[in-house]
Amino acid sequence: MEPLVKLSGIIKQFPNVVALKEVDFSLREGEVHSLVGENGAGKSTLMNVLYGVIQPDRGDIFIRGEKQHFHSARDAMNLGIGMVHQEFMLAPTMTVLENIILGFEPTKRSVLDYDLAYEQITELSREYGLAVRPESKIMDNSVGEAQRVEILKALYRGAEVLILDEPTAVLTPQETDELFRVIASLKQHGKTVIFISHKLQEVMEISDRITVMRDGKVQGTLDVADATKEKLAVLMVGREVFLNIKAASTKAGPVVLDVRGISARGRRKLSELTDVSFQVRAGEILGIAGVDGNGQSELVEALTGLGRVDQGEILISGTPITNLSPGQIRKKRVAHIPEDRNTSGLCKEMTIGENLIAITLDQPPLSKHGVIRSREVNELAAKLVKEYDIRPANHRIRTANLSGGNKQKVIVAREVSEDADLLIAAHPTRGVDIGSIEFIRSILLAQREQGKAILLVSADLEEIMSLSDRIAVMYEGKIMGIVPAAEANERVLGLMMAGATYDEATQGKGDEVIEA
Amino acid sequence: MKPSILDRLSKLQSPINVLAAVLLGLVIGTALMAIQGHNIIEAYTALFNGAFNGRFNFGGTLERFVPLLLSGLAFAVASQASVFNVGVEGQLYFGAIVAAYFGYVIVGLPSVLHVALVLLLAGLAGAIWAFIPGFLRATWRVNEVCTTIMLNYVAIFFTSYIVNHVFKNPNIGVPQTPTIQDSARLARIMMPSRANTGIFIALGMVVFFIWLMDYTTIGYKIKAVGFNAHFATYVGFRSRWIMIGTMALSGLIGGITGAMQVIGIHGYFLDNFSVGYGFDGIMVALLARNNLKAIPFVAFFLAVLKSGAIGMERFTGIPRELIGIMEAVIILFAAAEALIVIRKRVSLGKGGAEVV
Ligand SMILES: Nc1ncnc2c1ncn2[C@@H]1O[C@H](COP(=O)(O)OP(=O)(O)O)[C@@H](O)[C@H]1O
Ligand SMILES: [Mg+2]
Repeated sequence: MEPLVKLSGIIKQFPNVVALKEVDFSLREGEVHSLVGENGAGKSTLMNVLYGVIQPDRGDIFIRGEKQHFHSARDAMNLGIGMVHQEFMLAPTMTVLENIILGFEPTKRSVLDYDLAYEQITELSREYGLAVRPESKIMDNSVGEAQRVEILKALYRGAEVLILDEPTAVLTPQETDELFRVIASLKQHGKTVIFISHKLQEVMEISDRITVMRDGKVQGTLDVADATKEKLAVLMVGREVFLNIKAASTKAGPVVLDVRGISARGRRKLSELTDVSFQVRAGEILGIAGVDGNGQSELVEALTGLGRVDQGEILISGTPITNLSPGQIRKKRVAHIPEDRNTSGLCKEMTIGENLIAITLDQPPLSKHGVIRSREVNELAAKLVKEYDIRPANHRIRTANLSGGNKQKVIVAREVSEDADLLIAAHPTRGVDIGSIEFIRSILLAQREQGKAILLVSADLEEIMSLSDRIAVMYEGKIMGIVPAAEANERVLGLMMAGATYDEATQGKGDEVIEA
Repeated sequence: MKPSILDRLSKLQSPINVLAAVLLGLVIGTALMAIQGHNIIEAYTALFNGAFNGRFNFGGTLERFVPLLLSGLAFAVASQASVFNVGVEGQLYFGAIVAAYFGYVIVGLPSVLHVALVLLLAGLAGAIWAFIPGFLRATWRVNEVCTTIMLNYVAIFFTSYIVNHVFKNPNIGVPQTPTIQDSARLARIMMPSRANTGIFIALGMVVFFIWLMDYTTIGYKIKAVGFNAHFATYVGFRSRWIMIGTMALSGLIGGITGAMQVIGIHGYFLDNFSVGYGFDGIMVALLARNNLKAIPFVAFFLAVLKSGAIGMERFTGIPRELIGIMEAVIILFAAAEALIVIRKRVSLGKGGAEVV
C-alpha cells in the first residue's frame, strides 16, 4: 500500500546544529504513529517540515505519492495536515470559537456566519468527544481544554493527518487517558495521527507503529507488537538506561525542613499558597507532585527567600528562616536547583567554571580577603566538570553553548557540591536528555544516602514515584495530602492532582470530583 | 572545540566592528576634506604634528587624555553592573567644586596628603551624587538614564550658584573660585603644556579597576548582577546593594575626574568649565565596548584626534569641526548598537537587569 505521507532524505541545518540528517519517514493512512526521541532529537523539526512551517534544506515530501512543496502551513493544511504544537498557538483574550475559526471563518454573503460556526464546532466536538466551551475565553480555560481547542481547530481546518507534539507533557494522568480516548476516536473516524512523546509507556499504549529518532536521524520504525520499552530506550539513547533506580529505603533522621502553615501570594489565583505544612527529614526525599502552576513555584520561592511569605513559619533544623534573603538562607545550608535553569540557574555569559563557583566564592580556598585565587578556582572547576561528566569537558566554555542536560549538570554540580543539609530540587530533569536524567536522579539518591533532606518538586509522576519516600500532592496552592510512596499509585496521585483528598482518591469518590 | 571557536569569534566581532567604524570615519572625513579642495597629506601631517610634535603639542594630547580616560572608566564601570551612568558630567562638577573648596581651605598639609585628601573627598562627593540614581534604580526601578541626566542639570546649576554667590574669587570678574593651595596642585610634567602627574593617577585607577573586576569577589558579583540579576539573587548575592554600590563607584571616578581638572589643570573651579567631558566618556566606553582594558587605547585615540584637530585648523584652515564629524561617524557606526540599547531602556522606562 502506498504510504499517505512519505518524507525522504530530509536535511535541515540550523545555525548551530544539523537538526535533521537525511531523515526518511512514512505514514500509513489510518494509523496512530508515534515519534519518540530525546529532547533535541529533531522530532518537532521534522514535523514542522511536514506541516510546512520549516522548509528543509534538502529532501522531498510526498503526499499520496505526489511530490509537494510547502511554502507555508497553509499549503500543508490544504492537503489535510494539521498540527498541535508543543506551545499552544491560541489568542488568550479571544473565545474558543473565535480561535477555532480564525482565518477560516464561514461566511454568509461575506458576513461571518456565527451560527453556522457554532453548529459546526459543536458537531465536531460531539463526534470526537472533545468537550469545550465555545464561548469562554481561552485564558479562562485549563491547559487540557486549550489542547482540545487546538485539536478542534486542526479538525475544523479539515485535517486528515493530525500531528500532536508532546501533548501529554502538560496533562494529569486522567487528562492523558481522556486524550487517548480522543485519539482512539480519531482513528475510528479514519484519521491518521502522529503522536510525539518521550514517555515510552504511553507510546506503547496507543500506537500502531513507533518511529525512534536520535540525534537528527531515524533509528528505526517498529510495529508495536515488536516493541518493548527496553528496545525503544536502547534505540533512543544508544545504550541501556536505568531510570527506575530506587535504592533501598534508609531510616529517616531528624526533621530538617519544617514548614508550618505558610501562605503566600501567587502569580495567579490558583497558585496562591494557603496554609501549606509539611516536614522533610534528613535522609528522605519528599516529592511534591502536581500539575504545573498549582503553587509549586511559589512554594520553592518561599522556601529559598526568592518570594515573600505572608503567614506561617519555615524552620531549617529548628531555626526560623521565614522571609530571610536568599543569601541568608543559603548560609543555613540550603541548596537549590531552580526550575528555570536559563534565567536563574545559570549565568549564560559566564563560563562553566564561573558558574560552578558562584555560591562558594566567598569561602576559602576559592578566595582570600575578597581576592579570587585562580588556581584553586580552576582546580575545583576542572574537578567538578569531570565528576559530573559535564560536556564539553572544558570549564572555560561559556554555558550559553551547552545543551540542556549539561547546563543542568552544571547547576546540580554546584548545588550538590556545596554540601548543604537541605536540597530543594525543582524539576531537576525537565527538558534534559535521558542520559542526564539518569545521572541526575542517581545523584539525588546518593545525596539521600548521605543523609541529606531533599525536597523534590516535579510534574513528572514517574520521577516522583521512583525517587520519593513520601509524596505530597499540590492542588491550587494547597497540599491535598501526603502519601507514603509504598501506597502511592498513578491513579490515586492523579486524582489528588485534580483536587481530590487522599481519602476521596482511595475510596473511589475521586472520579466525581473530576466530573464536577 | 566548536563552541569555543564560536566564543572566540563573537569576542572578535566587536573589535572588528569598531575598527571598521574607525576606518569608515577616516574615509568619510578624508573624502570631505578632498571635496572641499584641501590637500589631504598636508591635513594629516598637520593633524599628526598637532597631536605629537613637541612637548607642547604632545602635552596637550595627554592633557585631554586624562578626562577622557577617567570618564570613560566611570561609565564602563557602571556598565559592568548593567547600569548606565549618563551622569558622569554632574558627578564631575560636584567633584570639582569639592576639590576646589578643600584645595583652598586646607592649609599646611604636605602635598601628597593634600592631593590624596582632595581626590578622596571629591570622589566621595561624586559617589554620593551617583548613589541617588543608583538607589532609585535598584529600589524602585526608576530609569537611571533619565535621573542621571536630570541630576546633571542640578549639579551644573547648583555649582554655578555656589561659584557665583557663595564661594567666588572676589578679585576676578568671572565666576571662579579662589585658586587652590600649591600643596593641592599636581606637578606639571611637560612644560609648557598643562599635562601633569594626574595621568599616572588616572592610569593607576584603570589598572586598579581592571584588577577589581577580574580578580576579586566584588568584581565577580558586579558582573553577575550585570549579566543576570536573577541569577545573582538566586545564588545569594545582594543584587540591589551591588548595583547601588557599583553606581557609587562609578560616581567616585566621576568625582575624581572633575577634581583632576581643578587640581591638575586650572587650579580653581570655573563656572561651566566642563566641555562635556562626562559625555565624551560615554563615547569612549561605547567604543571600547565597556572593556576596561580597551579604554586607555580608545581614550588616547580620541585625545589624539581632538588635539590634532586644533593643530590642523591652525595650519591648514580645515575647520576642527571636520574632526568632530569624523568622530560622529565613528560613533554612529561603532556604537549605534549600544545606543539603541540605551534608547530602548529609556523608552521602555526600565533597565535591562532587574533586581529583586
Ligand atoms: N529554530 C531553531 N533554530 C536553531 N536551532 C533549532 C531551532 N529549532 C530547533 N533547533 C535545534 O534543532 C535540534 C532539534 O530540535 P527539536 O526538533 O525541537 O527536537 P525535539 O522536538 O526532538 O526535542 C535541537 O538541537 C534544537 O536546539
Ligand atoms: Mg520538540
